[in-house]
Amino acid sequence: MSIEPIIGQYVTVTVAGAPRRIYFESAGQGRPILCLHTAGADTRQWRHLMNDAEITAQNRLIAFDMPWHGKSLPPEGFQTEEYLLTTGSYIETVLAVVDALGLDRPVLAGCSMGGRIALQLAALHGARFSGFIAIEASDFQPAWYDIDWFHRPDAHGGEMGAALVSANISPFAPEAERWNTLWMFMQTGPGVFRGDLSFYTRDDSLIGRLGQIDTGQTPVHLIVGAYDLTCTPEDAKRTADAIHGATLTVMDELGHFPMSEHPEGFRPFFLDALAQMPARKSKAA
Amino acid sequence: MIETFRALQSQLEDRPHLLRLGRLFSETVLIEVEGQEVYLTFDKGHLVAIAEGPSRKTPWRFALRTDADALRQFWQSRPAPGFHDIFGLVKIGHGRIDGDILCLVKNLRFFKEVMALARAEGGAA
Repeated sequence: MSIEPIIGQYVTVTVAGAPRRIYFESAGQGRPILCLHTAGADTRQWRHLMNDAEITAQNRLIAFDMPWHGKSLPPEGFQTEEYLLTTGSYIETVLAVVDALGLDRPVLAGCSMGGRIALQLAALHGARFSGFIAIEASDFQPAWYDIDWFHRPDAHGGEMGAALVSANISPFAPEAERWNTLWMFMQTGPGVFRGDLSFYTRDDSLIGRLGQIDTGQTPVHLIVGAYDLTCTPEDAKRTADAIHGATLTVMDELGHFPMSEHPEGFRPFFLDALAQMPARKSKAA
Repeated sequence: MIETFRALQSQLEDRPHLLRLGRLFSETVLIEVEGQEVYLTFDKGHLVAIAEGPSRKTPWRFALRTDADALRQFWQSRPAPGFHDIFGLVKIGHGRIDGDILCLVKNLRFFKEVMALARAEGGAA
């Protein structure tokens, strides 16, 4: 038997004038790394890295479930509300968690929609962070599917969502982790994946902001898997090219959920990304 | 191609979990590869008929159209990016899906896993 070092806690923050009870996990000590999950999933995507003793020896990894996701409840009155994530509410939520947890210029690591918002934060609130690791992130992709498929009374949105996003998982992914990754999508609440995708596939406001990102102040490193159909290497390259000073690494054998679908395959790329981020002492420099 | 679908038909009978997933799926699917038509008729998840076209009289619910090389690559145990999924084929310009796509999406895991049965190691779609 072994007890994992990950600690789970709750914190209540205010978003859009109302309280949100947020579940977050943390592990390690040192430089804070705030990790953002993908659409339709939760903090569990980061568990492998949070259980990696070599990484947590010098880094404090923190991941939280967005409201409506995982163990974070939706706000009061959700039953009559259409959940549609927006750039504004997403940014407000991330910054509220940074403040509530007292994180001093953390590195922000986000995947998919988490990577998209990381780049938005790099453009709009770069000084609040020390660096950005944008995984499977790009400026914008319109949907190649109908997002309304995933919230219908006559079908299970989670099962359909999982079947769709399996297209983004590499055939090199270990079978157990492929299905652990898909399980999170199967578990999403009704309409949540659709609401996340609304942000991801309809808000193109990042395109005009990429030029505002100051990588001299906060480095930006993009990582993309070759098997990602949603954010392809071409999408990530187009995005990196539009950010002066950004760097990009393509992972040949990984897909859209690298830290979750193939932890061992992703590990060296994440270590490389961490090495490109400022050390803890940089704040005083 | 027809031999592959016949092999796939018998493999499906050895996969109880797939038959359970497909228990509400009773439809005909058209697979068209460079003009060669194959109609796959499912009944409650069982692949009960494989009919070669051309046919103008066989109704189908949805169709997957691709080319022979793409399908060959799709059936590799570890396909190259884009060839690893039916929607990947569409995305990279080697496939087209027509018809009742919502029906496909409702049964997507079942259909993708059935199509992937022909992979050398039976990898997931």
